[in-house]
Amino acid sequence: MELLFALGLIAIKIALLIAMLLLLPLPLTWLERKLAGHMQQRMGPMRVGWHGLLQPVADGIKLLTKEDHIPAEADRFLFKLAPILALAPPFVVFVAIPFGETVSVLNAEITLYVSNLNVALLFVFAVIGLEVYGVIFGGWAANSKYAVLGSLRTCAQMISYEIPMGFAVVGVVMLAQSMSLVDIVRAQSDVWNIVYQPVGFLVFFVAGLAEAQRIPFDLAEAEGDLGAGFHTEYSGIRFAFFMVSEYVIVLLVSVLSVILFFGGWNGVLIPLPPLLWFALKVAFFIYVFMWFRFTLPRYRYDQLMAIGWKVLLPLSMANIIVTGIVFS
Amino acid sequence: MSRVQDRLGTWIGWALFADLASAFTLTFGYMFSRPVTMQYPDKEKWLPYSRYRGHHFLKRDEEGEIKCVACELCARICPCDCIEVVPYEDENGKRHPAKFEIDTARCLFCGLCEDACPADAIALGQQYEFSSFSSRDLVIGRDDLLGKPGKAMTGGGVVTARLNTEEDVLVETSEPHGYNWWRNIRRT
Repeated sequence: MELLFALGLIAIKIALLIAMLLLLPLPLTWLERKLAGHMQQRMGPMRVGWHGLLQPVADGIKLLTKEDHIPAEADRFLFKLAPILALAPPFVVFVAIPFGETVSVLNAEITLYVSNLNVALLFVFAVIGLEVYGVIFGGWAANSKYAVLGSLRTCAQMISYEIPMGFAVVGVVMLAQSMSLVDIVRAQSDVWNIVYQPVGFLVFFVAGLAEAQRIPFDLAEAEGDLGAGFHTEYSGIRFAFFMVSEYVIVLLVSVLSVILFFGGWNGVLIPLPPLLWFALKVAFFIYVFMWFRFTLPRYRYDQLMAIGWKVLLPLSMANIIVTGIVFS
Repeated sequence: MSRVQDRLGTWIGWALFADLASAFTLTFGYMFSRPVTMQYPDKEKWLPYSRYRGHHFLKRDEEGEIKCVACELCARICPCDCIEVVPYEDENGKRHPAKFEIDTARCLFCGLCEDACPADAIALGQQYEFSSFSSRDLVIGRDDLLGKPGKAMTGGGVVTARLNTEEDVLVETSEPHGYNWWRNIRRT
């Protein structure tokens, strides 16, 4: 009976998580277009619903009813597989992400995470690394020069930025003496990690921008020179899969920044519910992502590689050494 | 010496992300500035200035008689040959156009007909919403030209409007002046 209850609880949590992750890109696209509009002195979507609030729904219906086109020379199996491969890892990662401590609902203690892995951080980085397969397969299978170029760029970019990203969080693991994300947040209950690890956060956030393939590092889908990069040939719902995946990764990098460097659900000054604190911080980081997008131009490809290998990697290594010397 | 100092200052600025900071403050400021979008045709409409060269119109004199004397100077000077005038003589011996057609599909709205007219009979008015599904509908006859709106008296404003779905492209406006659209332009 207890086992059944626990399994049911996990199933409910996973269902809620999937629903949240599938639905969250809708308001995020609206928000992104609104922010883009207002930063460029436009209004953004205004027609569908109040101030365009129903625009994502209209877009979704449009994408669902569009022709699902597969190029004649494409590798049909890989072409169909790639969007799923791109979509699945960001969803899987959220299994290990905690959203708060336990809450009591109807006299039952319920934890706000699906599982508290003791190697959660390692799991997150391992699984998110798999996302690159979707991109590479998508670009390769489409049999288009733009798509191949885009996926080759993504391949190089993701591999070179995962290293500084991984090194940047080593300092956090040293401070918390644990790789469990729940323990990392608990360790920050007094002082947030950003105080001790400003360089680590900088490296992590820049590498996160590159991981999420957002401006200024969106070389993979550089509209100006590559059409749409690896998803040039995708249309309809398969294209929507790639877009959802992109937004979930943005959410993931925001959530990781909050958990690793900004104290997770620990609040300061104002006593708000922990979950609300967490949501506010994540919302702020998502805003920062969009703010970056509409402020900065795109880096050139050699500059991108130079930043990754010549700046971020030495910085993250120096951060590890300094953290090790000071806190050991 | 100063150049070295400048270069040092630039490097310090880069190290502290001063360039990024100024860029982000700029976009943040713009985010809270008023949008310059004119929500045409649902909500707002632009009023042209009096010098605007829109759709042609023919004028009448004080007795309500058409001013045009059918001298065909406008047809002669028209660079795209889009005006066709056929004169007739009425019972008082005055020349008037029996047929006065402008093919607005060909017209380039240069205003030379207005300049050439000796009787001050034709001018380019304020109307700019006359798109059509058929180029035949764009050939405007004499009686339609007499009914077209004249020069704008006020202009440069944005007025509230609504799209009239009964007629294809007409946008209805109520107020005469509206607000000055240029107030939204941010000058830095």
